[in-house]
Amino acid sequence: MNSCQQLFDAEEMMAAVRNLAGQIVGRFSGKNRKIALVGIHQVGVKLAELLNIELKKQGYDADFGMLDITMYRDDIGTRSMLPRIHETEIPFDVNEKEIVLVDDVLSTGRTIRAALDALTDYGRPGVIRLAVLVDRGEPEFPIRADFVAFKVDLPAERKVLVNFEASPELPAGIFDVYWHK
Amino acid sequence: MQWKRKDLLGLYDLSAEEITFILDTAAEFKKVSQRRVKKVPALRGMTVVNFFVEPSTRTRVSFELAEQRLSADIVNMQAQASSLLKGETLLDTVKNIEALQVDLVVMRHSATGAQNFIADRLKCGVINAGDGAHEHPTQGLLDLFTIREKMGGFKGLNVSIIGDILHSRVARSNIWGLLKLGANVTVAGPSTLVPREFEEIGVRVCHNLKEAVANADVINLLRIQHERQNNGFFPGIGEYASHFGVKSSTLEWMKPECMIMHPGPINRDVELAGEVADGENSVILEQVTNGLAVRMAVLFLVAGCRK
Amino acid sequence: MSELLLKNARIIDPARNIDQIGNVAVANGVIVEESELKSPEVIELAGKVLSPGFIDVHVHLRQPGNTTAETIASGSAAAAAGGFTSIVAMPNTNPSADTAGAIEYLRRIAAEQAVVKVLPCGNMTKGGKGEEMAGIGALKNAGVVALSDDGKCIQDHGLMRHVVEYAKSFNLPIMDHCEETTLAAGGVMNEGKWSVLLGMNGIPGASEELIIARNILFARQINWKIHMQHVSTRESVDMLRRARAKGIPVTGEATPHHLTLNDECIKKFDTNYKMNPPLRSEDDRLALIEGVADGTITVIATDHAPHTQTAKLVEFDHAPFGIIGLETALPVCFTQLVVPGIIGIPQLVAKMTTGPAEVLGMADYSLAPGNAADITVFDPEAEYTIDKNTFRSKSRNTPFDGMKVRGKINLTVVDGKIVFREGC
Repeated sequence: MNSCQQLFDAEEMMAAVRNLAGQIVGRFSGKNRKIALVGIHQVGVKLAELLNIELKKQGYDADFGMLDITMYRDDIGTRSMLPRIHETEIPFDVNEKEIVLVDDVLSTGRTIRAALDALTDYGRPGVIRLAVLVDRGEPEFPIRADFVAFKVDLPAERKVLVNFEASPELPAGIFDVYWHK
Repeated sequence: MQWKRKDLLGLYDLSAEEITFILDTAAEFKKVSQRRVKKVPALRGMTVVNFFVEPSTRTRVSFELAEQRLSADIVNMQAQASSLLKGETLLDTVKNIEALQVDLVVMRHSATGAQNFIADRLKCGVINAGDGAHEHPTQGLLDLFTIREKMGGFKGLNVSIIGDILHSRVARSNIWGLLKLGANVTVAGPSTLVPREFEEIGVRVCHNLKEAVANADVINLLRIQHERQNNGFFPGIGEYASHFGVKSSTLEWMKPECMIMHPGPINRDVELAGEVADGENSVILEQVTNGLAVRMAVLFLVAGCRK
Repeated sequence: MSELLLKNARIIDPARNIDQIGNVAVANGVIVEESELKSPEVIELAGKVLSPGFIDVHVHLRQPGNTTAETIASGSAAAAAGGFTSIVAMPNTNPSADTAGAIEYLRRIAAEQAVVKVLPCGNMTKGGKGEEMAGIGALKNAGVVALSDDGKCIQDHGLMRHVVEYAKSFNLPIMDHCEETTLAAGGVMNEGKWSVLLGMNGIPGASEELIIARNILFARQINWKIHMQHVSTRESVDMLRRARAKGIPVTGEATPHHLTLNDECIKKFDTNYKMNPPLRSEDDRLALIEGVADGTITVIATDHAPHTQTAKLVEFDHAPFGIIGLETALPVCFTQLVVPGIIGIPQLVAKMTTGPAEVLGMADYSLAPGNAADITVFDPEAEYTIDKNTFRSKSRNTPFDGMKVRGKINLTVVDGKIVFREGC
């Protein structure tokens, strides 16, 4: 059994995506307008795709990549099972590139730690920034997001779920989920 | 699905879904070997023992490299089955290895089922690197991976495995995997080496090379071991080569796009003529490349799963 | 001597064609008329089956040579718990029972330590090597009841012929382990679908059938008794059936495991399914059952072959052949043969009493007054789960541990003495 409470509806969520795109453009506007977005599987990839659409509308032709960090996790061997590894695709040269790493939620910071390791195995990026839709505030690692749409303060045992695709079970939006044991 | 097995013992035990899961995972690991940094930290801090109770070079090197690319610590152990018989039992040996807090044992053994026997009695994971004539699951998986990569899938695909089927663990792992994934399997060779009993599980059995290759999309040739001649399974290497060896002239009976595989090491001009092994239909070296990716995937999945 | 009155049992005495409720009286080690008893111990046996003591013509006691696995004392205690009052000890001990001295050793230890009758069997050839005939006359004088090279098989047909001819002059039956060794070489399981699928070296049925055929030819030509140990294939049963129909003096035994298990069991690589001859195909198993049902196979014998856990807890290829069977024979056969109605209780009893007695040439193996009081009582209704930890045997190498069974030994009496009693 789990309880599920909506924090933001679909409309608020999409406004936040546009807000995030705006922050990114703001940071990079003075430069050569060459941005690379790298989404982290699974929801981060979806978010990066939406950001890419927004950036295109504003005339930015961003490089686009996706990253699965499973091989870089720090909890391999402590879990009873392993999830499917999704496709990693970095179709551009990361050397000296300014990269925006995209994930849906910044929680413990461990995923981002793994993503930084993964990304630097592809080369030596010039700058890596982090964009998230939701920042939970108290990461376990010294990792902070550069672009944030929402700050949400919830107890650690709760999960923040970002859902872009409405289904019969769950509408699109951002949810506070709690699994009862 | 999610991976839930602490051991990989054979393809007989796996579902089609599990096999596909391994192949998908291997596809991601293949990309790692194509990067400048050919290494991921997945098994950092874990110890893998390569325990070979039967000599092997290729499989052991492939496993070792796969382990290094996953950042595992590695210990290699070799033993002779005969010396194990005299001294410590196999079970005592592997229990001692486990007591050193290792995470995985990759094991080859000349006795069928030896890995099944120890896997049931160990908490750490066990990967079968070949047991007797029973199974060689990572070879079977790398063959499947290569076929899928080249042919796109298995449904309706005609695969002929040619050679000493009776004594081949590679053949058995291939047969289980191919049947589960929907391919049509033929086994071929002299009848002393190709038992009719395979028909009982839906495999076509034939004893004529032309018939075996005529409709094949893939042919997988097995190494002929010279010692079988001494046991009277066939009269000689020369006779084997002339009746069952694949040569340039055999290609005339085959579909032009038929893919030619061999698990290695090749007896050139015995089961496979040199010019065909090096020809454009051959994917033998790609099999070796894919073997690394498949073994990384298997090591990763098995190590990542705690009982 | 104590007296016993075994009351209200269902008495099954195959040699005398008796199957009726009644009492059996025992005094001074022999069966007597009830009226002769003075103050017997009375044992109420309503609902139980009482029969002559079971005989197992195929037991390995491992003494001398491998007393970690079994001894004459522990093996005979296991026999008593299994309802056997007589067991024939196979000669492949270390050293082999191929001399009068070895037989005298066995008889001396058995007299001191065994709780059931241990009947010695001598080798046909020296060391069981199949090369030179053993001193068969001396073995006879030392008290052997039969000859066998069990575990091995004489490959030299000329030698085998002479052994059979020579044994006839000493009135000793031959019990042969039928295995042609070039066909069986290196094999660890039945050759067939499962050996092919598992990639294991197979032992083809023809390895056994060739020797069965040979033995039938010799038995006819020499007109002497040859008993085929642990018959395991359909073709073997067919040959035996035809030979017996022609009056050739051959008999055959089936083991409880060959009657109940098949070669598919090997796929778990449990060495407690490894024995020789190997578990055969399901078709072979069904043929053995047909042979038991139609009287082709007259003997159930266990081939009780103890091995230590250390010996068995190894790779399948490296494990020794053999499983124990004395303490599971009745319940396994009762559950698999009587419960489904393949044979009746009297037929099962006959295959464990008069059938083996005939092989050994024992006259009048029955409960007739004056005969030795060797008696077995079992409960045909009792249901339980086999637990290897309750065994008297020193070994635990059984595939039947955990099996739900019906039929339980309650009482074993040897020469009027109770050697096992549980539940009555």
